[in-house]
Amino acid sequence: MMLAIEVRQLVKIYAGRVKALDGVDFTVNAGDIFALLGPNGSGKTTLMRILTTQFKPTSGEAYIFGFDVVKNDSDVRKNIGYVPQEMSVWTDISGFENLLIYAKIYGIPSKYRKDIIWDALESMGLDAIANNLVKTYSGGMIRRLEIACAMIIKPRLMFLDEPTIGLDPSARRIVWERLTSFRKEYGTTIFFNTHYMDEADHYSDEIAIMDKGKMVKFGTSSELKHSIRREVIQFKLRNQGVDEIVLKTIRSMDFVSDVAIHDLELKVIVEDAETALPIIMDILRTEGITVEKISTARPTLDDVFLKYAGTMHLPNSTSSEIMSGKDSL
Amino acid sequence: MWDSLREMFAMIELELRRLKHDRTEMYTRAVQPILWLAVYGTVMGHIRAIPTDGIPYLDYITPGVLLQSTIFVSVFYGLTIVWERETGILKKLLVAPASRYATVIGRSIASGVRAIVQAFIIIPVAMLLGVRFMLNPFYFFAAFFILFFVSGGFAAISIFVASVMKTRERFMGIGQALIMPLFFASNALYPIKLMPPILQYFAIFNPLTYAIDAVRGLVITGDLTNLLPDVAAVAIFDIMMFTVASISFRKIIE
Repeated sequence: MMLAIEVRQLVKIYAGRVKALDGVDFTVNAGDIFALLGPNGSGKTTLMRILTTQFKPTSGEAYIFGFDVVKNDSDVRKNIGYVPQEMSVWTDISGFENLLIYAKIYGIPSKYRKDIIWDALESMGLDAIANNLVKTYSGGMIRRLEIACAMIIKPRLMFLDEPTIGLDPSARRIVWERLTSFRKEYGTTIFFNTHYMDEADHYSDEIAIMDKGKMVKFGTSSELKHSIRREVIQFKLRNQGVDEIVLKTIRSMDFVSDVAIHDLELKVIVEDAETALPIIMDILRTEGITVEKISTARPTLDDVFLKYAGTMHLPNSTSSEIMSGKDSL
Repeated sequence: MWDSLREMFAMIELELRRLKHDRTEMYTRAVQPILWLAVYGTVMGHIRAIPTDGIPYLDYITPGVLLQSTIFVSVFYGLTIVWERETGILKKLLVAPASRYATVIGRSIASGVRAIVQAFIIIPVAMLLGVRFMLNPFYFFAAFFILFFVSGGFAAISIFVASVMKTRERFMGIGQALIMPLFFASNALYPIKLMPPILQYFAIFNPLTYAIDAVRGLVITGDLTNLLPDVAAVAIFDIMMFTVASISFRKIIE
């Protein structure tokens, strides 16, 4: 399969001190939607700015469809579209004029220009307001206009730096619907950064997690969720709590990673809920505890993110729950 | 190469389109030069204190006032770049196929569009005040050409300043501190030979002096003996400034 992006041992050091990228390695298959997750300051934007040839890496190599981002930067630029995180359209001219200026910058021949621009405006649902000044647009409309700007050249690869930041849920959904249909039509590879786990979960083919300038985990959404081996079983107890001895017994099982009790709710964190559930049920039954309801929760992408790139808030919060559980006993 | 030229023309078109939607700035910016002509020029003209080789004083200062308003426009143009740096526009332009020098030079030259539109407001006002222009369309065309290019050079200075002063507030201060000394230490309001020797020295290195001399020759006196060296000085200034701005532009990006 052809690679849209290939990155080897990429390092970027700012002003000789700050190490923004610390040996990044990864590849993106052509035609995929690739999500890059990571906490603030993990190097996501730096990585994107190097891949879009805005500045050079300190060391290492990166290729876009086989073109070196340093040596063949102008070939790279001809193949990519880019939507930066900050607003990137002129607000004192109309939406149509913005696209017209970009069409001219990219050298789209004048006979196709208007058709291409109107196509992009229609597919982003902006045709009705195309001649209004951009300063009258809402945040969602501006984002769609920016994506339309990137679309007019039909890039083989589109870079989106936090494409839906600050948008309301319905505006976010519209943006993603348009992006996925654009990809379907033109086979464009999409590479995006985000803090919204649900977007990575729903729309991406592959996810990478970055932390402190390094790639810490790759995989599809379900692979990543599976990899953390952490499922939560929640028991709603009938009318009595669980004492410390029972909690200790459950905690001592080797497949249990944590236990918490809050009023009549017992939470057990295990590697695999299906095998753990009967065993825990047995323990509870021997202790004469009646269970009213059981639910299991599989890990979300949030859990994945916190495990690989978070500062690990989770164990702390569980133990504090245990403390409060103890008090209530 | 084509990519770069295309981007430069697109930048010029962008300025025209912006002006089409909002001309307020053009009118408010014209107030100051009109005051220089209507108030300062008329009063000083009555005194006849400044020797201007037989040209009426108002006629003498018109090219200087024209150029002062030009560099006002172009020096504050750097502010647009600072603003575009805060937004994502600059980043997006860098990812376009043109070379980044085209972005710098294109943006600089585009400021000339505003400068020329400004001149279209000031010249009729000067005519109403009784300034007699050389009515030769070729001379006028050449004068606009000089206005356009000298404005590019000053816009490049402002891009350089913008790359050092990364905030708007700092930039505003420097912008003010740059324009007035350039204006006073030039032949805009009085011949250089009236100045104290130190100031004369400064005026010789002031690109505004040459631009004013050229425009004055073209539209007021019709004396073109200095035109070639004047144009050469403006060209050298532009090339130097475009180079400095292109180099410093890297700082704006990172």
